[in-house]
Amino acid sequence: MKNQWTNFLSGTVRVKAEGKGTERVLNKLVRNKVFVWNVKKIGAETMLFSIHLKDLHNFRRAVRSSGCRYSFLEGSGGPFLFKKLLKNSGILAGFFAFIIVILVLSNMVWRIEIKGAKPETEHLIRKELDKMGVKPGKLQFSLDGADDIQKKLTNNISALTWVGVELKGTTYHFQVVEKKQPKEPVKLPARNLVAKKKAVVAHMFVAKGQPLVAVHDYVKKGQLLVSGTIGNPEHPRIVAADGEVWGETWYKSKVEVPLITKFSVFNGNEKVKHYIKIGGFSIPVWNFKKITYKHYEKEMSERPLKFLKWELPIVYKTSTFRAKEEVTRKYTVPQAVLKAKDMGKKDLRKLLPEDSKIVGEEVLHQEEESGKVKLSLHYKVIENIAVGQPIIQGD
Amino acid sequence: MALRWGQKLRQLMMKTMDLPQDVIMDLPRITMIGQLHIYIENHRGLLTFTDDELRLMLKQGQLLIKGSSFSIKAILPEEILLEGKIDHVFFINE
Repeated sequence: MKNQWTNFLSGTVRVKAEGKGTERVLNKLVRNKVFVWNVKKIGAETMLFSIHLKDLHNFRRAVRSSGCRYSFLEGSGGPFLFKKLLKNSGILAGFFAFIIVILVLSNMVWRIEIKGAKPETEHLIRKELDKMGVKPGKLQFSLDGADDIQKKLTNNISALTWVGVELKGTTYHFQVVEKKQPKEPVKLPARNLVAKKKAVVAHMFVAKGQPLVAVHDYVKKGQLLVSGTIGNPEHPRIVAADGEVWGETWYKSKVEVPLITKFSVFNGNEKVKHYIKIGGFSIPVWNFKKITYKHYEKEMSERPLKFLKWELPIVYKTSTFRAKEEVTRKYTVPQAVLKAKDMGKKDLRKLLPEDSKIVGEEVLHQEEESGKVKLSLHYKVIENIAVGQPIIQGD
Repeated sequence: MALRWGQKLRQLMMKTMDLPQDVIMDLPRITMIGQLHIYIENHRGLLTFTDDELRLMLKQGQLLIKGSSFSIKAILPEEILLEGKIDHVFFINE
């Protein structure tokens, strides 16, 4: 006898047969390979029995000319259950809608928390985030990743030294470290001013102290420029020397510029492919076209779908293909020289304090060798050479 | 005459080869579990079925089962499983 479980899945029908000779009908059914079970006789001419739903066609053919009346009492099993479920499809739809709503809400940004920032900085950060689209109510998929947000924030807000971005559930946490604006020293210790490096004094401004050098003097590194000891030599007073001594200093640098440079640049064309990754398997959902770029860079980002506090094994994945182009840059020799001078100046600027000035530039030596132009450059710079040196007061 | 010969040949085979009788001689094989179940193989069709009586066609004669609250749990061309309270099992030879 067959397993009743499979019967249940495929569906069964309870049949009522009325009339004379129900036994003959039963024999005929059995011979026609209609599986019959749970046969019961009620009264003299009524019989109840169960058959498979899939045998219904065979059953009709077998009993066509038997002279009995048939009625189907009830169906049970899979197909009937399914029908019932469809009838109550409102509940089903409600259930799915509920899950979808929770799914959507779980993947939204609900709160932005900023810690460790002054109110002004916090306002700045919030404005910047608004510009990026990081707002409560946005879907997390449409936003940049935490790393990108971090990079943009630190780049765009100068008051930030570091910002930690963390997405916890539906809340963005920002841990902010602000730049400490250096405070004006309240009281300078007693000190002299000495030369930072060898230079020729160009002009000077001494606010406090006894200047020991004059304009056009040549000074060596560490030479005393402004003394903090003032007043009568017999009763000296020691103060904190303060002032600026601008000296002409010299720098040498060597710059190389290749005449032909190849480099690859993004030409702005890009294509984004969208996938849904379930388990380890990616299913493309948008942009199925093949990438036709000759050279490109591929960038992938994956966002796991969340359900309440759990991460589902379903991941929304995008791959961005950025087209690259090879560009060859060619310089003639004069152009290369100009470029080299420019580069040299820029490099020097990075080394110098901001208030200094480059006043002169001279090419000491120029040569062309294996496709490169080599330049030795000499610069004249006016910069503040005075640095404080504390006076150690011994007895 | 021919039938007799066949019968005799079968009986001979049965005795010499030691095969079960129901296989060779098309006899019903009846298994009963107390009074609750009766399982009949090798029947030749249902004759009557009511709440308290089941009559089956056999190759030779009929089988009559009497009892109460009968229901057929399963029926196949040559097998039948009957459930209920079984009181009597009769063999009816014409």
